[in-house]
Amino acid sequence: MHNILMIVRREYLERVTKKSFWLGTAVFPLVMVVFAFVPMFLVGLGGNERKSIALVDGTGKLAAHLTRELAGEKLQNGQARYAIESVPIAGSIEATRASLEERVRNKTLYGILSVDADIRTKDAFQFYGRTVGDVKSIEEFQSALRRAVVALRFENANIAVDKNVVAGLLAPVDMQTNEVSSRGGSTKKGFTEAYLGTFMFVMILFMTLLLYGIATMRGILEEKSSRVMEVLLGSVSPGELMTGKIFGIGLVGLTQVAIYAATAGAVRIYLGAQGSSQTAGILSSFTPGKMTFFLVYFLLGYFMFTALFACIGAVCNSEQEAQNLQTPVTMCLMLPMAATIFFVGQPDSTISVIASLVPIFTPMVMFMRICVETPPAWQIALSIALSIGAIWLILRGAAKVFRIGILMYGKPPTIPEILRWAQG
Amino acid sequence: MTTAIALRDVVKSFNGFRAVDSITLDIPAGGIFGLLGPNGAGKSTTIRMIMDIIRPDSGTIRVLGASSHADVRSRVGYLPEERGLYKKMKVLDMLEFLGTLTGSSPRDARTESRSWLERLEIGDWASKKVEELSKGMQQKIQFAAAVLGRPKVLILDEPFSGMDPVNQNLFKDAMLEISREGTTIVFSTHQMETAERLCKELALIDKGKLVLSGPLAKVKEGFGKNSLLLEYEGDGAFLGRLSGVARVDEYGSYSEVRLEAGADPQAILRSVGERLRVRRFEIVAPTLHNIFMEKVGATAAPVLERVGDA
Repeated sequence: MHNILMIVRREYLERVTKKSFWLGTAVFPLVMVVFAFVPMFLVGLGGNERKSIALVDGTGKLAAHLTRELAGEKLQNGQARYAIESVPIAGSIEATRASLEERVRNKTLYGILSVDADIRTKDAFQFYGRTVGDVKSIEEFQSALRRAVVALRFENANIAVDKNVVAGLLAPVDMQTNEVSSRGGSTKKGFTEAYLGTFMFVMILFMTLLLYGIATMRGILEEKSSRVMEVLLGSVSPGELMTGKIFGIGLVGLTQVAIYAATAGAVRIYLGAQGSSQTAGILSSFTPGKMTFFLVYFLLGYFMFTALFACIGAVCNSEQEAQNLQTPVTMCLMLPMAATIFFVGQPDSTISVIASLVPIFTPMVMFMRICVETPPAWQIALSIALSIGAIWLILRGAAKVFRIGILMYGKPPTIPEILRWAQG
Repeated sequence: MTTAIALRDVVKSFNGFRAVDSITLDIPAGGIFGLLGPNGAGKSTTIRMIMDIIRPDSGTIRVLGASSHADVRSRVGYLPEERGLYKKMKVLDMLEFLGTLTGSSPRDARTESRSWLERLEIGDWASKKVEELSKGMQQKIQFAAAVLGRPKVLILDEPFSGMDPVNQNLFKDAMLEISREGTTIVFSTHQMETAERLCKELALIDKGKLVLSGPLAKVKEGFGKNSLLLEYEGDGAFLGRLSGVARVDEYGSYSEVRLEAGADPQAILRSVGERLRVRRFEIVAPTLHNIFMEKVGATAAPVLERVGDA
């Protein structure tokens, strides 16, 4: 026990007192923030210039309606965001539109809207733009067009209705999604928020598990290649060495997670004070309950994966050698992360339930499910129990593989060989 | 005399190759014990099994009377053949860590490490990183790491390999001092001269088998006083052709001659005197080197000889 503590102590102090630890700890959230905010920021940038749209109108009556509907969209300086330029039809609609394309190309026009004379046909409305990726603007424009066309249809049908009544009838119907928690109560939550919030957590889980798994492996490889391993084995048993390493590096991981949690908590309180925004919505995922589950699944995943990585470190002599054996283990982490969108969308599907109960996937998948819904308590309990069982088996096998592999120099063993050692 | 380490029918194979073949050996407590043998004889494998780093296929090993190595691990110091240190750690921090693994508190381990660094004359380097030190200094640190925690048994695998004479001397003195404090020292080597000067007792192994073991004096006695030490001027190449000479180790103007049983040393002296100017002629017991060459050089299956009683 004393030896294990001393190994934990060295692993922890050696790592936490390094500059690279603090640098890594600081850089990771920064990268996350950059990934999350830069696209939003860029989208916001493009939205602040006037957009001229040429209207080639087969009906001849849409321009007024469209201009009116777009009047509400203003730039930051108060000017109208969209300018509609009615282009008289010369020859056919198609020819007129084609003649305008040059102006789209030289950027004096944002886009061209062509409207057939008969607006009841399916392809009556066509938009031609330099880019169709500007989702925000196009959506805005489309919804204005929709209202304008409905108004025009009323007019064509000779239904004289008061404008306000029309507005009331056509008021947009937005459905707000809410999540009913099985513990009672419900929270307002959209898919984007659920997905982003979960993904952020899963990303942190994935990164830390991978990072610390590999750190453990690398530490063991280093001790092997510097031959300090045998000096250590003169004083401690392989089991003690492995246990001490896993706990020591795990403690470093927990320190980092604690720093993140504290930071996220502080940011959440700060943004909460600033009034709610979308980012506050994402950060609202950082509830104490979820943090607890995060911790539980982090620990389960940590022991599972670090033990596996420790084995890889023990049986290999260099990182290049370790690469091959690492792949299947990394895959077990990567697969659920790549499928986050599925598990978040279908948290109750049979596949999700089964995947969340397979120990190697449990930390990632069960945690995702918990993020978006509240799985039955028995499933959570079962997943934890199965994981603990699996960890026990893995650690026991790992200790055996560790003992054999640790003094092995030369060709690394194959996976079947490793499994045989683990059983023996 | 009590036994510090007892091996009974210890066998270890690697992929069908018998590295250690049924070795039974008692290493007495106190004193310095030499584990001798040529390269690849199974010395390191035996030592690793004593250290419980690898486990024997069959047979038992008891260290300080304990059947489980876990009970005595903290009382056994070990210098492996493959030297290794934490290159990125500071010298004192690393020694402190290795010292704590013998059961000491970090504070005690630090104090002890510091005193060893002083004793080995590298106290000024305590706060340098290990990788910044010269090879000789790293050897000193490696040695300090092995002796931290005042072990009851100290096992040194090839302690003098790759060492300059100054360091060899320093370590030899340290070993003698530690031995005087009551620690049993076991060291392996293939340098017979060192072994001859240091050990009280020895075992010779070859091809995984124990060839002979016992106190140094009795081992030599068993071979009789049938060797000659010759110092001369001239060419001693003819010595091997003289009748009654079994084998010759020639070093230019110095030769060690092993006689055949029943050969007359005086006859040899006469023949030598005719051809060379003799400066020294001495009838002695064979050196350990000669015993080693005779036992290990022979290709015949080794015969187990237990000389004297421990």
